[in-house]
Amino acid sequence: MHIKASEFLVFLKRCVQEGIGPFQEVVLPARISEGDSPPRLTRLEGEKAYVLDGFRPVDPLKTVFYLAREQVYPLTLRPVRRLVAGVKACDLRALALLDQALMNKDFIDPAYAAWRENTIIVSADCTAIAPSCHCTLTGGNPYAEAGFDLNLVWAGDRTLLEPGSDRGRALLELVRAQVPVETDDAGLRAEAAGRRARLVGSLKRQNAAYERPSDYSPMRRREQAAWKEESAECVGCGACTHICPTCYCLILNEESGAGQFVKVRSYDSCQWQGYARVASGATPRPKMTDRFRNRYLCKFIYMQGDFGRLGCTGCGRCIDACPAGIDVRSVVKNLLDRPAGGGAEADHA
Amino acid sequence: MRNPYEIIPAMIHDIVQESPTIRTLRLRPDRPIAFRTGQFIELSIPGVGEGPFTPSSSHFVSEVMDVTIMKAGYVTKHIHRTQVGDRVGLRGPYGTWYPLEKFEGKDLLILGGGCGLAPLRSLFLTLLAEVEKYRSVTFLAGAKTPQDCIFKDEVTGWRKYPNVHFLRAVDVIPPGENWDEEVCLVTKLLEKIQIDTAHNPAVVCGPPVMMKFGTRDLLKMGYREDQIYLSMEKKMYCGFGQCRHCVMGEYYACKHGPVFTYAQIKNEEAIWD
Repeated sequence: MHIKASEFLVFLKRCVQEGIGPFQEVVLPARISEGDSPPRLTRLEGEKAYVLDGFRPVDPLKTVFYLAREQVYPLTLRPVRRLVAGVKACDLRALALLDQALMNKDFIDPAYAAWRENTIIVSADCTAIAPSCHCTLTGGNPYAEAGFDLNLVWAGDRTLLEPGSDRGRALLELVRAQVPVETDDAGLRAEAAGRRARLVGSLKRQNAAYERPSDYSPMRRREQAAWKEESAECVGCGACTHICPTCYCLILNEESGAGQFVKVRSYDSCQWQGYARVASGATPRPKMTDRFRNRYLCKFIYMQGDFGRLGCTGCGRCIDACPAGIDVRSVVKNLLDRPAGGGAEADHA
Repeated sequence: MRNPYEIIPAMIHDIVQESPTIRTLRLRPDRPIAFRTGQFIELSIPGVGEGPFTPSSSHFVSEVMDVTIMKAGYVTKHIHRTQVGDRVGLRGPYGTWYPLEKFEGKDLLILGGGCGLAPLRSLFLTLLAEVEKYRSVTFLAGAKTPQDCIFKDEVTGWRKYPNVHFLRAVDVIPPGENWDEEVCLVTKLLEKIQIDTAHNPAVVCGPPVMMKFGTRDLLKMGYREDQIYLSMEKKMYCGFGQCRHCVMGEYYACKHGPVFTYAQIKNEEAIWD
């Protein structure tokens, strides 16, 4: 099934204006200023430069489900029913990791689960890449294959609509009721496949200096000197972790008032000195190099062990956010290319 | 599934000042918190913060819970300002426990120092409730000075059991203090005992440097790596393996620990820091 490419946004606007659909709010990327400013997530209201195509927005998708501040005890959350549109494949991969981390058989974060339950996800193929985009180096593609309720595939001036869930199929029915649709899409499928392949080609050219690593484990054996070199410019600000779509380390703020215990969850960062510090002042990672290394091992080795998937989706946001210009692609390459030398792990103990 | 962040309020109904820097809060939770010895809880001071602490009381008692805490940082400073009648918040219990079934019929060695004696008191009191199940229990306890010794009033009672051997040492005796037991590092007490090390378990808890050298000495004595149980104290912050603060390589101290065997974690980084 397909519609005119511009119609999906028209549909969303109509839903918001006329109160149609099983959601009270639509969240999607928009360019805040003219020119090539990167899109940011915003609420659909009034006339803004909304973008459903392009590349991933500045804000990682976790900001919609795993809020920077959320009261988790007592749980008073009444989530708004939402539709998030224009979600990119890299963020869906991150969301799959967060689902494993925050909604598993041993642990369910109630606030995260409530936001997930109440949000319809409409993903869309990327049609452009940011200079930091490198999903193909981490096993991804610039188009979604799973994890969405509805997926928008661009083909010429048409948009193919692919449902991925019952919620998506219901949404599709709603689209059908509001917008002229056509069903014969064989030619468009081929056109979409060609477009996807061309964008993958662009990503590969952009990242031609790097290879997709087959094994990250040698990073663990690199000696302290190598890490010191890679982290030399790091100021430990934590921007990379806050903007990372898979980082979910939390602080529980103690905000109890008279007679009522209150816990508010917010983001922590393993790049900060106090992160693992205990009461006496001792910390297993006193140096910036140790903390820098921890982040890389977490993304490429520990999360792989915990969830069976990398903690890096290649979205490149940490590259854009880093005040020191540290590029995760180069760090990984440098560490893996380095000849192994004297790198017993005990060196770090 | 219940809210994993749920707080169970508890009232402080007694406080024992064990030493100048260590006190035991005797808590009465609004509803009993069943735990197994070695597990920990998160204790909140309203409006201040929370921290992980291992109960120091027997796991056979759940209406009342003792928590023995050293004044070491911001939250613990506030814990040391609490008074009888104050209310605190508890979460938990979390983590792994001492595998008592593996200690049955064995000669168990317990080695601890400083505030590390808190979880060991819980273990010890739990063992005493069924002391006939264990062939013997040797408890080696250390403190810096005589006035730093904790659980002072209980020691005489502990020594009355025929299969319990309780030895105590202080590092130094400052002028004006009295002491008629051992004066040495607690790890030196290992030289004063006779025990079959090849087939028996040992439990260690204390300051990191004590645990490091204690473990080294136990290995030298012939203890097996998988028979040395360590209570690892890291920043167990959420308690359920989510926040990653207590990560030790691929382990979480809160979820896979705090009770680990040395064999499990010997290759992880910075375990003693």
